[in-house]
Amino acid sequence: MNKIPRPTPEEMIRKSFARFTDEEIIPKAREMDEADQFPRWMFDKIAKTGAFGIRYPRSVGGAGGNTTQFCIMVEELARGSMSVAAFTAMQCLMGTNFLFEYGTPEQHERLLKPAIRGEKVASFALTEADAATDLANVKTTARPDAEEWVISGSKTWITNAPVADFFTVLCQTDKNKGLRGLDFFLIERDTPGLYVSKKFDKLGTRATEISELAFTDVRIPHENRLGKEGQGVGNLMRILSVIRVMTAALSLGLARAAYDQSARYAMERTQFKKHIGSFQLIQQKIANMATEIWASHLMTYTTAEMIDQGQRPLKEASMAKYYASEVACRCADEATRIFGAYSYSMEYDVQRYYRDCRFLLFGGGTSEILQTIISRECGVS
Amino acid sequence: MNIVVLVKQVPNTTDVKIDPKTGNLIREGVASIINPEDRHGLEAGLQIREKLGGTVTVISMGPPQAMETVCECLAMGADRGILLSDRAFAGADTWATSTALGMAVRKLGEFDLILAGRQAIDGDTAQIGPQVAEFLRIAQLTYVRRLDAQEGKVIAERALEDGCEHIEAPTPVLVTVLGALNKPRHPTVEGILAATSERSPVEVWNAADIGVKVQDVGLAGSLTHVVRTFTPKGARDTRRLEGSATVIAAELLEALRQKEIRLGE
Ligand SMILES: Cc1cc2nc3c(=O)[nH]c(=O)nc-3n(C[C@H](O)[C@H](O)[C@H](O)COP(=O)(O)OP(=O)(O)OC[C@H]3O[C@@H](n4cnc5c(N)ncnc54)[C@H](O)[C@@H]3O)c2cc1C
Ligand SMILES: Cc1cc2nc3c(=O)[nH]c(=O)nc-3n(C[C@H](O)[C@H](O)[C@H](O)COP(=O)(O)OP(=O)(O)OC[C@H]3O[C@@H](n4cnc5c(N)ncnc54)[C@H](O)[C@@H]3O)c2cc1C
Repeated sequence: MNKIPRPTPEEMIRKSFARFTDEEIIPKAREMDEADQFPRWMFDKIAKTGAFGIRYPRSVGGAGGNTTQFCIMVEELARGSMSVAAFTAMQCLMGTNFLFEYGTPEQHERLLKPAIRGEKVASFALTEADAATDLANVKTTARPDAEEWVISGSKTWITNAPVADFFTVLCQTDKNKGLRGLDFFLIERDTPGLYVSKKFDKLGTRATEISELAFTDVRIPHENRLGKEGQGVGNLMRILSVIRVMTAALSLGLARAAYDQSARYAMERTQFKKHIGSFQLIQQKIANMATEIWASHLMTYTTAEMIDQGQRPLKEASMAKYYASEVACRCADEATRIFGAYSYSMEYDVQRYYRDCRFLLFGGGTSEILQTIISRECGVS
Repeated sequence: MNIVVLVKQVPNTTDVKIDPKTGNLIREGVASIINPEDRHGLEAGLQIREKLGGTVTVISMGPPQAMETVCECLAMGADRGILLSDRAFAGADTWATSTALGMAVRKLGEFDLILAGRQAIDGDTAQIGPQVAEFLRIAQLTYVRRLDAQEGKVIAERALEDGCEHIEAPTPVLVTVLGALNKPRHPTVEGILAATSERSPVEVWNAADIGVKVQDVGLAGSLTHVVRTFTPKGARDTRRLEGSATVIAAELLEALRQKEIRLGE
């Protein structure tokens, strides 16, 4: 008689984080956005759910979940606040992945496990002033000296930098080897010679903090190189599909929020003595939003499933990120049209979606470079 | 302390629609949730376990899909879940529901504290808690909005219409709780993955498992039967008062007087 099936973990993660988003995030989303700073208290609340360990095994304090579950979780969070979803994704994936994969047991005890518990904030630094889409141009150098590495250079647009306790930083170890001369290094915040700039003033995701990092002869121990020599970019490629499908899931969350509000408003707002949803041109917007969201959903979760089956679907993940982020921007745009002047008011959420969706276009590859990659994967280049 | 929490799966709406033909609740298209007050009951149980040690067991009677509710409780931190599910339980009124829940608690053996919601948002009778306590012949504290437990006793504050009551009771005792009691925690990711795995500590018990006769539970064991369910017609007589505040107040008082509605002594 024990044959009654359990709900799937995916269903339960969806339901549980939907509730978390409705109860904890949505009532505070505007306040967090206007406060214009990293909401540590929200980070702590998310930590209590064990979210930061979703991808990691129990041996390091994680939950042993998969990419699909991770995507569902960040999608639901993004429905409430892109900022919150973005710093959660950073903590779950980019900020901690290389420390998990290539860190020493001592580094796991001192940094990774506390990061999974939410006691330390992680950050990930690739981008430089002249090396953004073109990562091969990274100029921050790591030079061996005795038993140490000496880091010099600077990074920009680094999410969480103003609040982070440690950074995973892409540095050049051999300038003659191009992409094969790049490695990741673990750098802790209080290391002498590390300077964190003041935070950027930015259009969207205002509840995340972003700044520059400057390294002046920052000396770190030998074991702080994360991964084998010259394999930084190769190792980044190993999780690139996950980063892209995760960004697609963030996009999906924002698109759904814009759609949900639009559908409700279309049935509430009356003009010409009718609710505006009775006008075919508004119906067209709703139909297109719903259709594109469904397509994004299918692309995102089909790709996540491929990753969970052990594949590395770079083409599909690029397509999912490209498509879903553009859909998020279209949905936010259509929502502003449906809300009319009220979308222009800071008292409605729609303006926040409209600002926050732009974030999705750049991280994880711009739409332009993704189209280039997709075409190359299709054999046309 | 060994704690049992009674949880019910209910439709996620207080605006339950009733099928005019059959008189049954229309559940299609409405998502199911844990009865809101029951989450507070579980939270109270988990906090007491954290303080005093012991175990928290949840029991839910319902159709197979109530498995989700039991698993959600495990994900929040309960140690063990029992789903009472059997065609024989179907169509139960509150008496038959209490019989089944009471027998299940008995089968569990030793317990110190039973927690239940004050009331379910669909059935709304607030009868189950008290009836289960009577069935087990233990003390009951209802409408509890503050609760502390020590070995051997609980100390509670009951919300009454005209004030509150501070009261202590020795264990074993049954407590029905209000939402004001606490803020339920969210399930953890690790808890969700464990609760949904094949090895999660959920048992499904049927009528034979809890040792009840089929005629004592479900529709057969119900003492009451729903003859008809309907929405009361009684259209409201609405009058709109207009004018200055003083005029409105005067007219309102007069109207209340005419209806012989007494305004205090
Ligand atoms: C909110 C936010 C958070 C960020 N967080 C981080 C972080 O935590 N860590 C980090 O390392 N970086 C971070 N970044 C930086 C992000 O990764 C870069 O913005 C991204 O790599 C694109 O670089 P860029 O914006 O300088 O654009 P550029 O590379 O300068 O591109 C400018 C334009 O040229 C186009 N372009 C460039 N190359 C090509 C080409 N080959 N073919 C066709 N078109 C091309 C681009 O598509 C774009 O339209 C963040 C950025 C933002 C906005
Ligand atoms: C006269 C009458 C006839 C009924 N006939 C039918 C019928 O024919 N078919 C039918 O489907 N339903 C019927 N019901 C509804 C059903 O009996 C009740 O939903 C059920 O007994 C619980 O009562 P309640 O919802 O009022 O819970 P309440 O007493 O308001 O709930 C209080 C608390 O008791 C606990 N609790 C309640 N129910 C359960 C449960 N199932 N498992 C675990 N804990 C629980 C919870 O902690 C809950 O918060 C009938 C109800 C009445 C009053």
